[in-house]
Amino acid sequence: MLKYGLAYGLLSSRRRAREMLLPAITIATGAFLVVIVFATSAGVRKQAAGLGHTDEIGHAIVLIAVTVLLVGVVEAAVATTRTIVGRTRELGVLGATGVRSRPVLVALLVEPFVTALVGALGGAVIAAVVGTVLGATGAAASGVSAGGTVTGALIAVAVSLVAAVVTSVVPVWRAVNRPPVKSLSSN
Amino acid sequence: MTAFEIVSQTKTPKQTEAALPGPGSALPTSSGGTFGRLLRFAIANIRRRPERFVLAVLGIALAIAAVTVVRTISASFAITGAGSVTNAIGTHAIWVVPAQGVTYESSAGALVSDGPPSDITLPDGWTGAEMTAGLWNSPHGQVAVYGVQGTSPGKVVASAQLAQRLGVANGGTLSLAGHAVTVSVSGDSAALTVSPSLARDVVGNVGWWVADEPTIDRGRTDLGSLFGPAVGLPSTQNPAEKPARDGKGLVYDTTTGAGAQSFAQKYASAFSGQVTDSTLGLISIIGLVLGFVIAVSSFLASVQERRREFGIMSSIGLADEVLYFFLVESGVVFVTAWLIGVLGAGVAVWAVLPHLATPVAWAQASATVAAFLPAMAIVGAIVPVHRLLQQRPVALLAD
Repeated sequence: MLKYGLAYGLLSSRRRAREMLLPAITIATGAFLVVIVFATSAGVRKQAAGLGHTDEIGHAIVLIAVTVLLVGVVEAAVATTRTIVGRTRELGVLGATGVRSRPVLVALLVEPFVTALVGALGGAVIAAVVGTVLGATGAAASGVSAGGTVTGALIAVAVSLVAAVVTSVVPVWRAVNRPPVKSLSSN
Repeated sequence: MTAFEIVSQTKTPKQTEAALPGPGSALPTSSGGTFGRLLRFAIANIRRRPERFVLAVLGIALAIAAVTVVRTISASFAITGAGSVTNAIGTHAIWVVPAQGVTYESSAGALVSDGPPSDITLPDGWTGAEMTAGLWNSPHGQVAVYGVQGTSPGKVVASAQLAQRLGVANGGTLSLAGHAVTVSVSGDSAALTVSPSLARDVVGNVGWWVADEPTIDRGRTDLGSLFGPAVGLPSTQNPAEKPARDGKGLVYDTTTGAGAQSFAQKYASAFSGQVTDSTLGLISIIGLVLGFVIAVSSFLASVQERRREFGIMSSIGLADEVLYFFLVESGVVFVTAWLIGVLGAGVAVWAVLPHLATPVAWAQASATVAAFLPAMAIVGAIVPVHRLLQQRPVALLAD
């Protein structure tokens, strides 16, 4: 049943691509910052050294970049609550026809998952391109690290996916476990 | 008579009752002023969609936490900057720094010179002295050493904190780069104060000049323009300005000048500006913008879901009140997010930057971030409601 839930979720995600645009952009913004911070870590450390407290400031920059990524991911969860409200009757129909809650849960979590994946990958790719341009033109005086770019991209994608699912699971769980009669009678 | 009082005295239609939040809608008979009723209405609506409220608060709180952490670092730098410049030059009106400039050494917690004092001769009537200021690599880490005229040779003045760090007590003996000196514990300077000759022996020929104006020029706020040309150096009242590397030095005029800020305050601003203008500041501002986007997005979703409810309100003459509903709801969201955000930032600062930030700096940063809240809450509420208010009640009810 789970694979049907997954397929149902993917199909509905395609239908709702426009609604997923804003959260994808906010996640991409956060992912971009994380990747750029890791890619230009030498420059960031140099700047941190200029401020004194090299290690502490360096840690703070990474912490704040990841926090901004999480802010972007929360928008995906807010979008999921919009999806749930818009599909309340649909969820009621699924419940009334005997579809179990687990595949519906999976179907609804596909949307924040796909949004986070697309947003994080998009942000990481843009950051890699910008990093390459900065490195080639010499705008990043301390250079752009390929290893840092890959590390930043992996962290951005992993954090986005986990955070999107974790923040979306509670509203989705509540919606899925709502009695079908309540969902069907809602206006 | 307010719109809420009209609602209280009007027999509520069934549709209105159904559209109002919460079971049975206690609004028409509730006590309290208009704000109290608006607040209860906002809370009732939050309870209707608690998960969205939690998510909006979480997103904004994370953004506020990021900005608060950066502002805390910035405020700490401002406090440190003001203290370090006061320790370095005291109340002298003129500060002549070498072409190599001066640096705040975070390990020593004090300003030190990066080059030898400028080769100048004090103009007639001016008083002042060359001051050695450099770093001593002590067994307990780097310590700033200032050579100040009037300090007796064989004596070193240290603050209680510095004496404790170096493991010496008042009247004890300190081995200062091979020189045995008697410790006198007093003051709160982050640097050791010794005689100029001893300071040069310990840290080398690095330092700056300090000077004061003649009695006839006392009270003037343009001393730099008098002193600079007299010694052949450029002068400024802006501490953010650095000496030219190929020059002979720069004269800082520490008088207030045309502005209201003291030189120490201006130096503190320049010092903290290094943080807010850095990558840290840029990233945190982007975070705050994203947090605002989340707030607006959340309110837009709420407006969309409650179109019929607001259609009913508009049809009984409560069109403008819709804005008040959202203003109060927005205020609740932002204030809750601020509380969580600044507390989270406090924990983050304590865990990640224990040596860098102070509770005072955190409190200052929290207050600074709070200043953004009213504007964000008002705009966050107006943007979604504006489109709603443009429509006729019948259009809202037809959806």
